[in-house]
Order: sequence, then C-alpha cells, then structure tokens
Amino acid sequence: MRHFLVMTAFAVVAAVVFGTVAKDTTHDRVAYGLKVFLEFMAIGMLLSWILYFLPF
Amino acid sequence: MSRAEIEQLNHETAPVRAWLMGLAAWLVPGLGHLLQGRWVRALLLGGAVWLCFLGGLWMGGHLFSVGGNEQGLSALLQLPPMIANLGSGVLYIVSWFFGAGFADDPAHAARATYEYGNTFLLIAGLLNYLAMLDAFDISAGRKA
Repeated sequence: MRHFLVMTAFAVVAAVVFGTVAKDTTHDRVAYGLKVFLEFMAIGMLLSWILYFLPF
Repeated sequence: MSRAEIEQLNHETAPVRAWLMGLAAWLVPGLGHLLQGRWVRALLLGGAVWLCFLGGLWMGGHLFSVGGNEQGLSALLQLPPMIANLGSGVLYIVSWFFGAGFADDPAHAARATYEYGNTFLLIAGLLNYLAMLDAFDISAGRKA
C-alpha cells in the first residue's frame, strides 16, 4: 500500500507541474494534467505487474 | 505576422528582467511566478516543488554533491544527480548548510523509503527547472 501511495503522490506532483506549464487555456491545462496523472498511474501499474513476474 | 517577423521575435534577446525572474524562480521555487503576480501558478508550481523536496527528505532521501573525495569516475557519476538536486535552489543550499540529506551511512540507506526519497528529491529539482523556464518565458513575453 505504501508503494501505491508514494507512486500516487509522485504522479500528482508531476501532473500538477506538467499541467501548469503546458497548454494555453485552463481547460486544456486541467485536461493535460489529468491525462499525465492517469498515464503515470497506468504505466506504473503495468510496470509493477511486469516486474512481479520477473524471477530476479 | 510574417514568418520573418516571427523568427526575428524568437531570436530577440530576452530582457534582463526575464533572466532575473528565471533566477528568482530557480532560487526559491514559486517566487518567479509570484513576483509576476501569477499567484495560482506560483502556488501550484512552488507548492509541488516544495512538497516534493520536503517529502523526499522526510522519506530519508539522499542529496548528491561532488565533494572531491570521490575517486576516478565516481565524481562523474555524482554529477548528473547533483545537477538535478541543485534545481531545488535554496532548498538544496539550506540542506547543504545544515547537512540535512547528505548523510552517506548504510543505516540511512537501509530505510525502506530511501530510494523513494532519492527520486522525490531528484524530481523536485527537475520540476523546478521546468518552473524556472516557465517563469522566464512569461517574463520575456513568449508565453501568456
């Protein structure tokens, strides 16, 4: 659970910064921030499953 | 606006104020935007960087420095993470002054959150570089 929480905290912080510095309108920034957050989470979960099955 | 005019605008020298804003944004995360009256951006960007850095220290992360004690390629390997850490500006400087986060003992590294802390500290600096560029661009009129 700790790993998941830390990963979520990391995704939130990175998404806030990426969303703030990118795009031109507030709507686009929020949408981009959410997209980045979801991508971080999804890729993190995917990598964790791949690593889970590795024998080393 | 013609293509030549746009290119000329892109190559114009940035005003001194923009460099100062960039410097302020690097030195104190959030300050570059705050000085330009961008409260929300300052709060979001500065808050994210401060939170990330303090979170990293709290988790027991390690701050990198090139102290001259390293042998061979060791110093070279310390350089990229040190550059990332340096992005946190005054947070890194104050930590260095008080020796917080620079401990290099096995007990410290044995903490379960040590690697997370390292990552958070590195990312805090790198995100602040992004914030710094944003503050520079806004001040130079290249960004709304």
